[in-house]
Amino acid sequence: MLSDRPLDLDYRRLLAASRKLTTDSGKPVLKLALLSDAATQQIVPVLAANLDRSGFSASIYEGPFDAIELEAYDPSSGLYSFNPASVVILNATQALHASFARRKISAVDFIEETFARMTGVWNAIQSNCQATIIQSTFALPLERYFGNYDLKAPESFYAVTLGLNARIVEAARQRKGVLLNDVDGVASLVGRKHFFDDRFWDMWKTFCSLDWLPHLAQNLTDILVAMQGRGVKCVVVDLDNTLWGGVIGDDGLEGIVLTAHGEGEAFYRLQLFLRELLRRGVILAVCSKNDEVNALLPFESHPDMVLRREDISVFIANWDDKASNIRQIQQVLNIAFDSMVFLDDNPFERNLVRELLPDVIVPELPQDPSDYVRFLTQLNLFETTTFSNEDLQRAEMYRVEAQRREAAASYASADEFLQSLEMQIVVSRFDPFQLTRIAQLIQRSNQFNLVTRRHSEAECERMMNDPSMIPLYVKLSDRLGDHGLISVVILEIQEESLYIGDWLMSCRVLSRGVEQYVMNTVFMYAAEVGATQVFGRYARTQKNGMVKDFYRQFGFTLISESEDSTSWSLSVQAYQPARVHMKAFEEKQTEIAAS
Amino acid sequence: MTTTNDLHERLTDVFREIFQDNSLVLRDDMTADEVENWDSLSHINLIVALENEFSIRFTTGEVTGLKNVGELTALVLSKVG
Repeated sequence: MLSDRPLDLDYRRLLAASRKLTTDSGKPVLKLALLSDAATQQIVPVLAANLDRSGFSASIYEGPFDAIELEAYDPSSGLYSFNPASVVILNATQALHASFARRKISAVDFIEETFARMTGVWNAIQSNCQATIIQSTFALPLERYFGNYDLKAPESFYAVTLGLNARIVEAARQRKGVLLNDVDGVASLVGRKHFFDDRFWDMWKTFCSLDWLPHLAQNLTDILVAMQGRGVKCVVVDLDNTLWGGVIGDDGLEGIVLTAHGEGEAFYRLQLFLRELLRRGVILAVCSKNDEVNALLPFESHPDMVLRREDISVFIANWDDKASNIRQIQQVLNIAFDSMVFLDDNPFERNLVRELLPDVIVPELPQDPSDYVRFLTQLNLFETTTFSNEDLQRAEMYRVEAQRREAAASYASADEFLQSLEMQIVVSRFDPFQLTRIAQLIQRSNQFNLVTRRHSEAECERMMNDPSMIPLYVKLSDRLGDHGLISVVILEIQEESLYIGDWLMSCRVLSRGVEQYVMNTVFMYAAEVGATQVFGRYARTQKNGMVKDFYRQFGFTLISESEDSTSWSLSVQAYQPARVHMKAFEEKQTEIAAS
Repeated sequence: MTTTNDLHERLTDVFREIFQDNSLVLRDDMTADEVENWDSLSHINLIVALENEFSIRFTTGEVTGLKNVGELTALVLSKVG
């Protein structure tokens, strides 16, 4: 659960909270390993307390002190027998400094050697387990040997740290399965002179001042939570006194406050902030108490408006209560309430929405609009672990989707409407160009997701290359636009049976017949390879109730049932192909088997 | 103005919080060996909690040279002033 106000990051209180944690909280368990060249005993309880607050139970393996390489290179190490889902590597600047001080090579060579050791550790971990690596950056040092000239002198420790960070960042961008924990970002935010505590390093090799350790742990928590698919997909924004100063209905176009200088700059900056979020794939919606014609006026004719009407995927301006309107936005976009943020200057509206839609994140915006952007930044609501081309096109997709909905209203039947869309579909084995988007869809899909296994991008790559697996993605387009990659289905053949492992789909394309088309394909494929029986499984989560009868709908028989899951089977002969309104995209033949 | 009694009470609260023992009673001649959970890890937490509680700062030498609770109390008192 993302928080609507800054979290308590007091070391003593978090330590006390960590002692009350139990292993049977019922929260989903995150298995992670912590490797560091600093002491980690203080980080572990705080990290566990922070994760608990975000709705996860932490199971943490703590590597021995200063044994990053030993653990990584030894296939029989405690690290690998623990089998973590993520490996957190924390490299301390103080340890780097000690090794820099002993160097017998040039600073440039020192960077290369250290970088090679670090990526060597990544290689070793990735060849021994499937965990995602979360690598820290180095906090820039306090020590300065040349003063400001540190930056100009490649030999300075400051320049070496900067150079090493740049190499790590570049390498992590190129590599799948490596995320970055921006420790330098945390250190510079709190101030390096506060972040480092030399006494604690000297005595106990503590990574940083314990006062600021919770910030470090929270930064890691944000990454770990984002890896679980918790993220913001949509910002719903109020208009009067939120997006501009004043009330458009009373003050008129000339009366509202919105300029690139002076009093209106705060609102202007919020709009710039929202536009950047839009560019990174967050959908924007408007929810305002206004006559629609007034609400639209600034979007159409105010010279200082940054956001345009086409930037807003769903625009609701009326006099209904805001909870009902947000519910409507949620239905149009087909996303979960807990992936929505609602921004409103009015405490009454905020409380109403919190009360009626408790899952929606409603930031407790500060009084002064000048503080809006800073406050939202502090909440770090937009943490993510992926970014793909799909993100860049998302707003456009949702806008087209709204058009489709309007079109649907003018057809007599759903079938007739679906026919009119002229849908084209591609079902294909994973390929390298789609891996980022595939992994992203796997992280993000919660509702239409049969077993909810969060395969990382690196795991997807492995499945792609594994001839015994049949990992498929599905793309859909129609005459109005391209939906992109919207579904993932992972199959496995064992003797004469075909097992459906994962089946997930974006809720954007519900009720189009996509799953029917794909199921037809699955059974055609099963017949082709001589399988006689198809098996499927459903594993219950808090969010995937909509697909609990997925297999029943296709005529599968329930073969076993436990509290959390059901297993199903259907013989290939007995399958009745479903009627569909789409055809295979002509230029791309369906390719399923490994080549 | 902090009195010795006041200080003793706050000190006891910090000890109870860190060592998770609500009935812990401090004596001047008490050592780490006598207190359950007083290991190197909780010692760090104790030091940080005391610094934080009394807005004081220990030097490395002070932290490592302490023999018993009495010395620690005296040290805190000298810093609180």
